[in-house]
Amino acid sequence: MLQEESDLSLVIAQIVQKLKGSNLYAQLERQAWASLQRPEIKLESLKEDIKEFFKISGWEKKLQNAVYSELSVFPLPSHPAAPPEHLKEPLVYMRKAQGSWEKRILKSLNSMCTELSIPLARKRPVGEQKELLNKWNEMGTDEPDLSLFRPVYAPKDFLEVLINLRNPNYENGDSLSFRTHLGLIQVPLKVKDIPELKEFFVELGLTTGQLGIDDSTQVPPELFENEHVRIGQKVLAEQDSAAAQQYIRQGSPTALRAELWALILNISSQPEDILYYEQLKTNVIQHDLLVDSLIYKDVKLTASNDDYYFVFEDYLYQVLLCFSRDTSVLGHFAYNSASPPKSYIRGKLGLEEYAVFYPPNGVIPFHGFSMYVAPLCFLYHEPSKLYQIFREMYVRFFFRLHSISSHPSGIVSLCLLFETLLQTYLPQLFYHLREIGAQPLRISFKWMVRAFSGYLATDQLLLLWDRILGYNSLEILAVLAAAVFAFRAVNLMEVTSLAAAEAVLADLSTLKVMPLLQIFLFATVT
Amino acid sequence: MSRVSVPCHVKGTVALQVGDVRTSQGRPGVLVIDVTFPSVAPFELQEIMFKNYYTAFLSIRVRQHTSPHTPAKWVTCLRDYCLMPDPHSEEGAQEYVSLFKHQSPSMTFPKWLSHPVPCEQPAPLIEGLPDPSRVSSEVQQMWALTEMIRASHTSTRIGRFDVDGCYDLNLLSYT
Repeated sequence: MLQEESDLSLVIAQIVQKLKGSNLYAQLERQAWASLQRPEIKLESLKEDIKEFFKISGWEKKLQNAVYSELSVFPLPSHPAAPPEHLKEPLVYMRKAQGSWEKRILKSLNSMCTELSIPLARKRPVGEQKELLNKWNEMGTDEPDLSLFRPVYAPKDFLEVLINLRNPNYENGDSLSFRTHLGLIQVPLKVKDIPELKEFFVELGLTTGQLGIDDSTQVPPELFENEHVRIGQKVLAEQDSAAAQQYIRQGSPTALRAELWALILNISSQPEDILYYEQLKTNVIQHDLLVDSLIYKDVKLTASNDDYYFVFEDYLYQVLLCFSRDTSVLGHFAYNSASPPKSYIRGKLGLEEYAVFYPPNGVIPFHGFSMYVAPLCFLYHEPSKLYQIFREMYVRFFFRLHSISSHPSGIVSLCLLFETLLQTYLPQLFYHLREIGAQPLRISFKWMVRAFSGYLATDQLLLLWDRILGYNSLEILAVLAAAVFAFRAVNLMEVTSLAAAEAVLADLSTLKVMPLLQIFLFATVT
Repeated sequence: MSRVSVPCHVKGTVALQVGDVRTSQGRPGVLVIDVTFPSVAPFELQEIMFKNYYTAFLSIRVRQHTSPHTPAKWVTCLRDYCLMPDPHSEEGAQEYVSLFKHQSPSMTFPKWLSHPVPCEQPAPLIEGLPDPSRVSSEVQQMWALTEMIRASHTSTRIGRFDVDGCYDLNLLSYT
């Protein structure tokens, strides 16, 4: 069909344009030039010989990985008449809601600025720059006075906004009907039901080996684990992103995880990347931003208090402060419903040549943001690699957890998926909790917004994030949240208040993630 | 082959319902939009483009003038074309849609002259080889688009967030 061919042509053209600006393009060009000296490259069949050379030397695989990465991250090009905001978010009412939410955040930040008389950004005096450079590896020892700072928002504020989301074209009717949403989310997004989830997550089924289940001490490693590790090593040797993504659906061996994630996210630490990170570090040294204090406060309040992550405090500053200065992150706003905040150079209000984004990466951190980085510190110890991995995870996944959109992996869809799963498969529990004023989403929301970071034990969290990468989707967070409720259903049926329900679900650190998911999806009698 | 938009007049929607509009409680699920073409010259329609707003299924009917002597006839070009796979959810609700000539079996030129479709059954899409001149023009368009995108500059960021070394800011802007 010609329509599909022209769609494909558009996708190819877009990917070509994106890759042309990348390091890989320059490297491929250099390699092609260098290969001309090789005896097997003949002038008569130049194009074919160079292509063959790329295939043998592994450069074709690198190109394949880059194309695969672009396909995974960028949405397919939409209709030619669709404006850029349609690509960010197709539903007008969601765009408006995101805009209002952003305005509230900006107002909050501005008022913090004026109240505390602290500028949004300032250039550090030379003495202060030197001091910070010396302290770079131990910024955690600094104890600045952060008492006046407050986080710009917390997940529960965001939940209130989501609860009030309404589609102006959707009529629920005043009376309860089968179409009224009994949960908190009232927008009719399409979410998968269990049969569809079973198909989507087919590799998590009962007959497929899993790390997190079939590698436990009682199971002899010859049955699954040894072979799985062997396959993992092969995948790494082949350096194939798509194969790695398929492989990791069954979990990653601990020893291979860092490399596998880097392969899937298409991160290779080139000298240019290390230089880029050093440049970001220089930016941190030179300019002091108000968001830095927010980051400090967040790390001190969350990660530093966590038994697993407090040792990584210094790493967190090194990553998050640089992250705020990274203008390459602005690229993800093309497919994020959010938009970066704008400001003007002092005294040049309204003059477009003096318009800048603030912070430079356009992302204002909220309470708990540093928990996106913390688990990665277990895998990567070299700051620039850790930084690259986090940045890629953010622009692929984490941004969806705190912006209002209709995307199937967006937080709104995850909330609705969670509520629908619970309502459909545990109706008694759902009804009971609702009756006692403990809407389940009020408890599970914080788990999903943080992708369970800080709630699960680290090894379990990493097994969960393996699957996020493997399926290129965050839906597993909603399924796990429902599975946790199912697991503790008996206790929850006995509570009589929201506080008691919270108490039953306060400690998830003993949970084993994969058995819960498997039972909920594949072994629950409905 | 250049394409231009045809001036047309889109009338307001009219609800199709049985009974008195004023007294009936129910809301109709079918609305009709009339589109007329003020220009008299014949044209070859290639594409209809619109933005959907919560319409689940679309049918298009065309009134054709075959000759000055016979009265004009209504022909169905498209029947129940699905725009929203699940009408109760948001999928496809606000999407931009293009309908092409080849999707309708009876759309030909000029002024959509065609053999009348018997019993209003939508004919299956014509299988077999497509018209060579049509293929070559489509391929030409795709190629032009690809070349255009390739020729435009890449959008790599240079990395600077300041203006001439200055990043002294006022407050955040709300616009």
